[in-house]
Amino acid sequence: MDKTRRLSRFLDPKVLASIASMEIRARSVVEGAIEGLHKSPFKGFNVEFAEYRSYVPGDPIKDIDWKVFARTDKYYIKEHEEETNLSGYLILDTSGSMSFRGESAFSKLEYAATLAASLAFLMLKQQDSVGLVTFAEGVRKIVRPKAGMGHLKGICRELEASEPGGATDIGETLDRVAETMRKRGLLIMFSDLMDSAEAIIAKARQLRTRRHEILLFHVLDRQELTFPFEDTILFRDLEDKSEIVADAYALRREYLRRLQQMVTTFQSALRRAGIDYLLADTSRPIEATLRQFFTRRMSGAARVA
Amino acid sequence: MLSFGHPLFLTGLLTAAVPIWLHLYFRRTPVPKDFPSLRLIRLSVDAVIRRLKLRNWLLLALRLAVLLLLVLALARPFVGGTFGNIAHTGSPSAFVVILDNSLSMGVTHQGISLYNSAKAKALEVLDQMGPYDKASVALLHDPGTLLFTQLSWDKNDLKEAVRNAPLSLSGTNLTGVLQAAVKLVAPVRSYKRTVYLITDLTRVAWKPLLDNGDLLARIDPGIELVLIPVGDGSPPNLAVAGLELEQPLVMKGRTAVLWATVANHSDRPRQTRLSILVAGDKKQDLPIDLEARSRKRVKVPITFPAEGVVDVAALLPADSLPEDDVRHLAVPVLAPPKILVVKPPPERDGSPSRDDIFLRFALNPLNRTEGATFLVESRLPEEAVSLRLADYTAVFLVNQRQLPAPFVDALAGFVLGGGYCVIFPGSRTDPEWYNSALLDALGGRYLLPARLFKRVGNAVSRNIAYQLTDLDTGHPAFSLFGAEGNGDPRRAQVWEFFQVQPNPGALVLARMSHGLPGLVEERRGQGKTLLVTFTADTAWTNWPLKPTFLPFLHQALAGMLGRRGLRGGSILPGAPVSLVVQEENLQKVTLLPPQGAGIELPIRREGEGLLHISTTRTEQTGFYRLVLTGKEGTRTEAFAVNPPPDESDLERIPARKIPRFTELSHRAGSATSLGQKVQEVREGRDVSGGLLWLLLVVALVETALANRPPAQRPGVTA
Repeated sequence: MDKTRRLSRFLDPKVLASIASMEIRARSVVEGAIEGLHKSPFKGFNVEFAEYRSYVPGDPIKDIDWKVFARTDKYYIKEHEEETNLSGYLILDTSGSMSFRGESAFSKLEYAATLAASLAFLMLKQQDSVGLVTFAEGVRKIVRPKAGMGHLKGICRELEASEPGGATDIGETLDRVAETMRKRGLLIMFSDLMDSAEAIIAKARQLRTRRHEILLFHVLDRQELTFPFEDTILFRDLEDKSEIVADAYALRREYLRRLQQMVTTFQSALRRAGIDYLLADTSRPIEATLRQFFTRRMSGAARVA
Repeated sequence: MLSFGHPLFLTGLLTAAVPIWLHLYFRRTPVPKDFPSLRLIRLSVDAVIRRLKLRNWLLLALRLAVLLLLVLALARPFVGGTFGNIAHTGSPSAFVVILDNSLSMGVTHQGISLYNSAKAKALEVLDQMGPYDKASVALLHDPGTLLFTQLSWDKNDLKEAVRNAPLSLSGTNLTGVLQAAVKLVAPVRSYKRTVYLITDLTRVAWKPLLDNGDLLARIDPGIELVLIPVGDGSPPNLAVAGLELEQPLVMKGRTAVLWATVANHSDRPRQTRLSILVAGDKKQDLPIDLEARSRKRVKVPITFPAEGVVDVAALLPADSLPEDDVRHLAVPVLAPPKILVVKPPPERDGSPSRDDIFLRFALNPLNRTEGATFLVESRLPEEAVSLRLADYTAVFLVNQRQLPAPFVDALAGFVLGGGYCVIFPGSRTDPEWYNSALLDALGGRYLLPARLFKRVGNAVSRNIAYQLTDLDTGHPAFSLFGAEGNGDPRRAQVWEFFQVQPNPGALVLARMSHGLPGLVEERRGQGKTLLVTFTADTAWTNWPLKPTFLPFLHQALAGMLGRRGLRGGSILPGAPVSLVVQEENLQKVTLLPPQGAGIELPIRREGEGLLHISTTRTEQTGFYRLVLTGKEGTRTEAFAVNPPPDESDLERIPARKIPRFTELSHRAGSATSLGQKVQEVREGRDVSGGLLWLLLVVALVETALANRPPAQRPGVTA
């Protein structure tokens, strides 16, 4: 498989066409050396101070620094960095469970990798810097964030090289990522979250307290979401290879109840912590999932602004 | 209870193993499936494992049920048929229809005759008789009748017998008739055997059978007992339950006391009028108030002006059971009976015998010829030979040494024909002659109830006085003294008496104080002999001076007279009546029933000049006359036949309290005819159709449970 074709697996022209007109807007303040397309939501709130200048008629009254006025009896406007460059990590779960492919075109890993590549392309196109972390029981590979479209190939190469296998340990992975990121940044995780929900939520909250922006794509196959089986089935675990025989029809209601409970727990707990959570159904078109993601991001940014 | 039309299909029950095998087989071959993580599946399995197991067992049970129902339906089961019968469905039937024709079935309630209803049901049962079936009909009255002693194939004969079966006025012999019916069908084991009992379920009729519970349990379980009740509820009923005389003897011109018993068998107090009829003429009309379920005895004094047997009837207004509203009593009104005293010769000084004097005084104290209770005639033995003993009621032998042989012979015949002989010994008595002439020489016609031995005690010195003890107060002679205030014969003293050894059939009415017999009586033919072991005068005892001597003699004679001839009113319908007379010249005996022409009865001659007359033509209730015609004229005996009082109680017993019987209730106008129900009992009900419906339902449930609908529930959403 030549490089162009391998890359095209993840950079579906239809996907890129559908999101090329959108702008990714970061919701968090990210320090960056390169002014990009992102507007800082913290502008005027002394988050990133630039300078004072005298007030001129026409300036917004709300931008006047009233403390300086109290001391000097003069009107000064506090200037901030208006645009910042984004630095982020794409964190991809490559555990054995991600190899599951129901009746969808992609396995969960392929779907997640495609999503990651698409987002990497867009971020690089906006001159943001993007890195990649792959993990299973622990971190497997780390690609440091860089800007420039040339970096895309490196990321795609690593994505292609990812092979599913092993158990899932998200807590360990997030600890490693936190050590790696000295500055605040954007973390976008793609995983089926087959780990302890409490541990995942606790680690994510820790990262959030370090003011990292976190996005979580919960990647699940359609068969996982609907459990459409009818017969007595010998289920084999893709991670630890254990087996269990069960009447799938009889289990379905209870299974779906527990899964719904788990999704709701993630959704509510993560959103309370200010973490974006998106359930990605691998049977849906990737562009639809991305469009849903961007729509939510834009509406979230508008709400904050 | 369960039989099969096609029992070979039952081998299909082996297919029950199929679902078990399938169940086990598919349990071992699940479809493999890779899945991302089993964590949620394991949690779900833990949560639903019990429900899953239950469902699996339910599924297995349903599949087994489907197969079993299919096999059973194909085998064409019949439920409710002959219990425990080895004969399979389609076998011919052998059955007996027991039709209750007892008195209680004579009830007509709200215009419906219970007996006619029972007959109609019996005919319906017989209508179900197939060409290979055989049956009999029995009537339930007492003593009961098996109209066909062998099982008959002729349905028309059987039905005709039912149509002609008369209502009896007698009681119910449920035990006897049921046993006879069971005995009739018991041998035909290859037939389906059934006994149908059509009855009004009166409690009194069932009580003997239910009290003897073993009887029903002993009946062959292969014989089905089917109960077909008739009637509904117990109609109120009043009845004359008893009519009797207070005294054993009724004398012409003297007042007799009649007791009538009226019973109220309803649950409410009732008022009624009791009429007393003498020879058809109403003599008394008495209002009577009766409590619910109670009886009342009414005392009615009546004087009979003429001798002869008189029909006395107690009558109530007719109600739902008219047969028990009248009761008859045949009252023999007697002229004063004649008593012959065979006295000893006068004393040496020419004075009359003291024995004779005491006896004559005791029997006729005022020595009257008119209005006396007994007319006493004293004769020496040689004078008595020429007398016609049949003209006397009793003969007293008093202190006789020996008697002429012809007189002894005549006396033996007199006793066997119903006479009463009382023997008082005395100083003249020769025990050897007595034992020889009155006991040994007469063979079967002997007169002495006990063999005489030596004399005990000394009436001259009177050193030792004996007393009478162990009085038989159940005997008429002493029954009077059982009550307080009527005197006590035990106060009399006896200084000398004969030691005797009673015959094996004799009764000791009283003993002396040291245990030897004092008075011995023995029934001889239709009569009796009484031996008193001491004198009739005061030579050996002071009893003749005591106030108890006279009533003793009177009561002993009255008791004897009261049982002579035919008994007055205790004969039940259909029961045999017999009479033994000693009339050499009897030529014809005619029975005159209450209704219908007279019936000449056969006369059976027995030994020793006795004539035996008997009849069972006593089906009707009422007053019967028996006219005995001889060369010397005619005389009349009479008796009354009355219904059994128990039959008047129409209270019913619930059918559920009767074990072993299967009740087959049927009301007029119901959708299913009695015949159809009988058919169901005989063949059982074909339930294969019902089983197929049940199979369909079970199959649908199994399908719903096993072939679950495809997953339509939407999956998990964020």
